[in-house]
Amino acid sequence: MSFLAKVFIYPINSLILADLVERFGHKPLTMMSQIREKVTSLSLDSPPINITPEDPKLGLKYAAIEVPAGVRGRMSLIGPLIEQAESAIIVENPPTDFGCVGCNRTNELTKYLIRSKGVPVLEVKYPESDEEARDFVNKIVAFLESLPKEKSEEDEKAKEKEPAEKEGKK
Amino acid sequence: MSGEDSGLVKIALVSCGSEYAGVQPEFEEAAAKVNAKFIYPEIDVASIDTIGRDFGLEVASGDLRLMMARAKAVVEGTTNADGVFITTCFRCAEGAIVRNEVRRYIHEHSNIPVISYSFTESTSAGTLLTRLEALTTIVRRKHLLTREVQTGLTAGIDSGSTTTKAVVMRNNKIIGKGWVPTTKVLESAEEAYSQALKEAGVSKEEIQALGTTGYGRFLIGNSLKAQLIQEEITVNSKGAVYLANKQKGSATVIDIGGMDNKAISVQDGIPGMFTMGGICAGASGRFFEMISKRLGVDITELGALAVKGMHENVSMNSYCIVFGTQSLVNSLAKGATPEDVAAAACYSVVEQIYEQQLQEVDVKEPLILVGGSSLIAGVPKALEDLLKIKVLVPENSHLIGAVGAALLASGFVEE
Amino acid sequence: MTETKKEEITKYIVISSDKVLPSDAAMKIYESEFPVTVKETCFGLIVSGARDDVETLVEQIRQLDKNHIFVKDRGFPPGDERRCRASRGGGPRPGFHFLREEVEMLPAIGAALDELEAKECMTEKRKAKCRLKTSDLEKVIEEELAR
Repeated sequence: MSFLAKVFIYPINSLILADLVERFGHKPLTMMSQIREKVTSLSLDSPPINITPEDPKLGLKYAAIEVPAGVRGRMSLIGPLIEQAESAIIVENPPTDFGCVGCNRTNELTKYLIRSKGVPVLEVKYPESDEEARDFVNKIVAFLESLPKEKSEEDEKAKEKEPAEKEGKK
Repeated sequence: MSGEDSGLVKIALVSCGSEYAGVQPEFEEAAAKVNAKFIYPEIDVASIDTIGRDFGLEVASGDLRLMMARAKAVVEGTTNADGVFITTCFRCAEGAIVRNEVRRYIHEHSNIPVISYSFTESTSAGTLLTRLEALTTIVRRKHLLTREVQTGLTAGIDSGSTTTKAVVMRNNKIIGKGWVPTTKVLESAEEAYSQALKEAGVSKEEIQALGTTGYGRFLIGNSLKAQLIQEEITVNSKGAVYLANKQKGSATVIDIGGMDNKAISVQDGIPGMFTMGGICAGASGRFFEMISKRLGVDITELGALAVKGMHENVSMNSYCIVFGTQSLVNSLAKGATPEDVAAAACYSVVEQIYEQQLQEVDVKEPLILVGGSSLIAGVPKALEDLLKIKVLVPENSHLIGAVGAALLASGFVEE
Repeated sequence: MTETKKEEITKYIVISSDKVLPSDAAMKIYESEFPVTVKETCFGLIVSGARDDVETLVEQIRQLDKNHIFVKDRGFPPGDERRCRASRGGGPRPGFHFLREEVEMLPAIGAALDELEAKECMTEKRKAKCRLKTSDLEKVIEEELAR
């Protein structure tokens, strides 16, 4: 499948956002894919999600040493997604926020980093009624349709290769 | 650990951040070593929206609200847990507030033992082992911990990082003592034990039960075939209230050891909340040793010196054992008296314990100060000055671990 | 590209449809010849297998009722011990709560997508005749027959 733009989503584990982004032909950047990479890596055994004490150290790229280990560990997963992002959808006041979005300090840092990146960002409120849901979907669809669509498949491949190589070097 | 009481203990893990800090496997490893298993209390997701209000503590992070909901599930009995381990990231203010309040909440609303801890990515299973061992002991050996009188002829050995202590007890009396510097764990234990046996006038074969505690407890316990091998939190709590004759009701035990220190809140001789320091030796006996050396006095003379001095006359700007010693030496060069320096050293240790340990423990009187450093008279004085309460230093306070071990071991005499 | 073909992925299919039941969708997958694993859950299905197979299948399932079937990636393979409720000792995995909240919102999201599609259909209709979807035709027939 060839995707058009890489869209960072917040909450990074949202079913609705991931689905909408993919439904309208773009690539959602999600926590799920990061977790997959972690848990299916056979060389590691650090249950439950294979985060080792090395990961909070990698997170130093995004937050200083005085920032708690849990924040830096999460950032080691989220940070690379922000780096790849070509646009973003941020949902304010999502109903629950546990697990990978369970730490508000991480969430604040995540949103700040994506907002300050200079890519197109859509900020919407989590719907609480049918009326709001309609508005929510309309805004997201309009945003996704406004994103650049002219990317050739070769471009995409070349771009995909780049981060893969970088990771190899780590 | 003996077989009959080593059944699986279910510890409710009430935590934030541990899965993402890379320490979860360390937690699991430590739990497995004491035959415990972490469980994750089931919660009603709808309760999360209102838990902040219910609890009276509104925080921004979802996982911290989850902690409160899980604590509630434990207290209300919807989750069946034998103990609770509360843990959040080190340096997280929001986490620290919730950790403390959740601990207090469980402590006040249930009889389930709780421990709390803040971790970094470097937290290892070894660091957690003593804590989890203490927690599981409280669960498994409540009957043993209710013992208030030593019976028969028993012995206890406390293998500390700096000194090794041994006692022999008969019918609730200490009849032999041994106290030697720790060089090689086993050899020092043998030596201290021999001293105690000699003073008591009994042979090793006559001893009906032996208990070991301290850093070297496993090595010594296995070698001498001890009936009881127990971590120092449980043993020292018991030893402290026994020696101070405060076995009933609440008490707070502060143990300043050779390398680390502990603050334990005790109820009827059973440890409840406790903290252990150990990152820096600046709040331990080692610091006193270094200061004595620099002052050219024996460590046994340091206390008397300190009582005569004024800590306010010396400025200390670091708790670090290296920098702290340095600033004391500098103040000597500036004209401070050895008395003032000794007093400042005592105050520094006590202040550090106050700032880092006592914040998480409810200080309830009587406050019992034990461990080798309690013999330095300046230390209880500094603690009294700081806390404004009377500090109790029982006789033989340095033998606390060995006495506690001998007392608890006597539970095996009748069995 | 051979590497991607071998790559195993897992997707969550959440079914919020009046027409398609999770068991219908599961049956459809069993009938297909793709070597994937399927697990039925309270919200829908978890499908696990080679990336190409899973992606193709998931798209087919989505087309059964495209505005009411939602898809997201899942990090863990189904029944993974590290995340399994049974072996973890009670309490669902943290992500479960959020998923449950989102699932409640899906009927409204689906309705919004239906409306959007209808609007697009209308605008396209003005330009050229819009071909009626079989599912829509079915709806029309049912409504007509019900009269």
